[in-house]
Amino acid sequence: MADRGLQPSIEAAALAAGFSTALHRAGLPVSPDRAARLAEALRLVPPTDRAALYWACRVVFVSQQQHLARFDAVFSAVFDGRLDPAESRGDPNAPPAVGSETRTKAAPPTNRPAGAPEPQPDRPPAPLPGADSADGDTDGPERDAILALASSDEHLHEMAFADLDPEELDRLRQLVARIVLSTPTRSSRRRHPSPHSRDRLDVARTVRAAQRTGGDPITLHHARRRQTPRRLVLLCDVSGSMEPYTRVFLTLLQGAASGARAEAFVFSTHLTRLTRQLALRDPDQALAQAAATATDWAGGTRLAASIRRFIDDFGRRGLARGAVIVLFSDGWAQDDPADVDAQMARLRRLAHRIVWVNPRKAAAGYRPLVGGMAAALPYCDAFVSGHSYAALADVAAAIRGDLHPIDHP
Amino acid sequence: MVTVPELVPSVGALQRALDAEDYLADEGLATAVFLAVRMRQPLLLEGEPGVGKTQIAKALARLLNTELFRLQCYEGISAGEALYEWNYPRQLLGIRLAEARGVELAETELFGRDYLLRRPLLQAIEHPGPRPAVLLLDEIDRADAEFEAFTFELLAEAAVTIPELGTVTAEHPPIVILTSNRTRDLHDALTRRCLYHWIDYPGPERIAQIVRRRVPSSSQALATEAAAAITRLRSLDLVKPPGIAEAIDWVSALTVLGIEQLSGRSVEQTWGSVLKNRDDLDVAAARGGAWVAEAAHG
Repeated sequence: MADRGLQPSIEAAALAAGFSTALHRAGLPVSPDRAARLAEALRLVPPTDRAALYWACRVVFVSQQQHLARFDAVFSAVFDGRLDPAESRGDPNAPPAVGSETRTKAAPPTNRPAGAPEPQPDRPPAPLPGADSADGDTDGPERDAILALASSDEHLHEMAFADLDPEELDRLRQLVARIVLSTPTRSSRRRHPSPHSRDRLDVARTVRAAQRTGGDPITLHHARRRQTPRRLVLLCDVSGSMEPYTRVFLTLLQGAASGARAEAFVFSTHLTRLTRQLALRDPDQALAQAAATATDWAGGTRLAASIRRFIDDFGRRGLARGAVIVLFSDGWAQDDPADVDAQMARLRRLAHRIVWVNPRKAAAGYRPLVGGMAAALPYCDAFVSGHSYAALADVAAAIRGDLHPIDHP
Repeated sequence: MVTVPELVPSVGALQRALDAEDYLADEGLATAVFLAVRMRQPLLLEGEPGVGKTQIAKALARLLNTELFRLQCYEGISAGEALYEWNYPRQLLGIRLAEARGVELAETELFGRDYLLRRPLLQAIEHPGPRPAVLLLDEIDRADAEFEAFTFELLAEAAVTIPELGTVTAEHPPIVILTSNRTRDLHDALTRRCLYHWIDYPGPERIAQIVRRRVPSSSQALATEAAAAITRLRSLDLVKPPGIAEAIDWVSALTVLGIEQLSGRSVEQTWGSVLKNRDDLDVAAARGGAWVAEAAHG
């Protein structure tokens, strides 16, 4: 039998409770029964060295790979400061012991360009897009400290793309490339065999199968409608006013076109279809090809004319029918708002959902009053900002249809 | 009769026993398995394909000298395939035979133990001992969420109720190991009940050790070189980075070809056993076999 912990100074239950509190503060989902489980685990695996303690804690507390980095940060903050007091003696920068980390806060990132606005401090830290965040309800500062320890990229999440320097933008684009966009599904015409008896009986198959067994229907076959994802169409404004955001949005377009088989278009003064150019696996090569194809980068915006082109040449022929359409634009356009209104109404009649992504929405006091934007808004199902990596999670949610529809005034 | 705690008294003992079964586990994995066995909690293993998630269950069953029941999950798997099913064709046949012989057949006879098809979950629960069976739920992420919930309900109670037969309660609740390839997020209720371990991709020394175990005819030098080369290949942006299985295949292929040292030419000759995707081949070929072989000698 394993004997009791060899280090009498560590009382298993107290240690388990203290450590689970520290993990909870760092935003990891930790239920109280885990602490009890750790106490039992420590009885079986006496924590004779750091490795034994580390593995026992990790096996009990971590239940997702994404949490490993944060767990490691908390573990070293808590235990490397505690088990070896000699190391931290007289060192003011030593990691804090259990319970004292509320007072520490990571130094704010200093490489922000001068004059950039402060990132809003009271937004919750970025949940990974796709991972539904059950862990988003802990309070701010002490959690930020540990998050900053966990990853140097975290501070990029909340910053608007316009405020990033080129190197940060490159790192961020790698993160953005990993975002997977998925659309709601629709029932297809085709049926396929189903193992569940709650689905409809496939009479034809059952009778055919019964012929083999002398007319006795031994196996009942069921079938259900196949579900297929709706088509995703992305229209990105690449006019001058959108320039700070286009690089990141194009990365998103590229990922969607190559991975989710989305249709990608860009427009400023006229519309260009970039699906084929962007559907390459290598993002840099894809963007280079796209740049060579579309000739009107950073020009003016003709919103209504571009939407009309899209509907006439592509949308009406089937591309937009029942699709989820995402427009990336600030709505600053040269054309008459009445035209925008008319074209959006046409688009509305074709599409399943329309999502409008406007990076200016994030600015304090922004109201969608500019002509084109005000005209388009009544036709949109979701209106999101998408100005930062964290905000792109909202874009993904809006495309999935998880985001509640906007209130139309 | 040897009990489980006597067989695995400590993490170190488990590690040595796994080693004797030709499974090289690091301290983290050994701790996870040890706690799962001793705390009687299911263990959820995640990691890249080919890091040995399934193998650990097999090795564990061998070292405990007990049965392994494996349930391979897939989309649309139902309780009938996991737990039990009535052998419908056999029941029909029974009725026909009874008719032909002019024998009276009671309904209860048709729903007797003879007509029950036992699937892995029921088998694991019915396992008579002396030590609990190992139940491997492979690739649980492929099954539907409802199936996941059903399985857990059942394992928590370690009992199955068959309406026609009554309740079967486990004398020795099985040791449960789940694996997942992360194709979807598992439900919180499941992760909460499980111990969890993420199996990291091993370093080159460990790969070389594993390869030597699996391909005994290979030389130590070749295994070390191949492990270093695989590690370098993994630094490229590949669709399917080569794993341990590929390392083993590769060394076997090189051994069969009688190659004792990696060179640019021998690497290019054997691309096919390492890279199994057209795009990956293009990416690697652009770097050239010499670049890969260089890792082995540098």
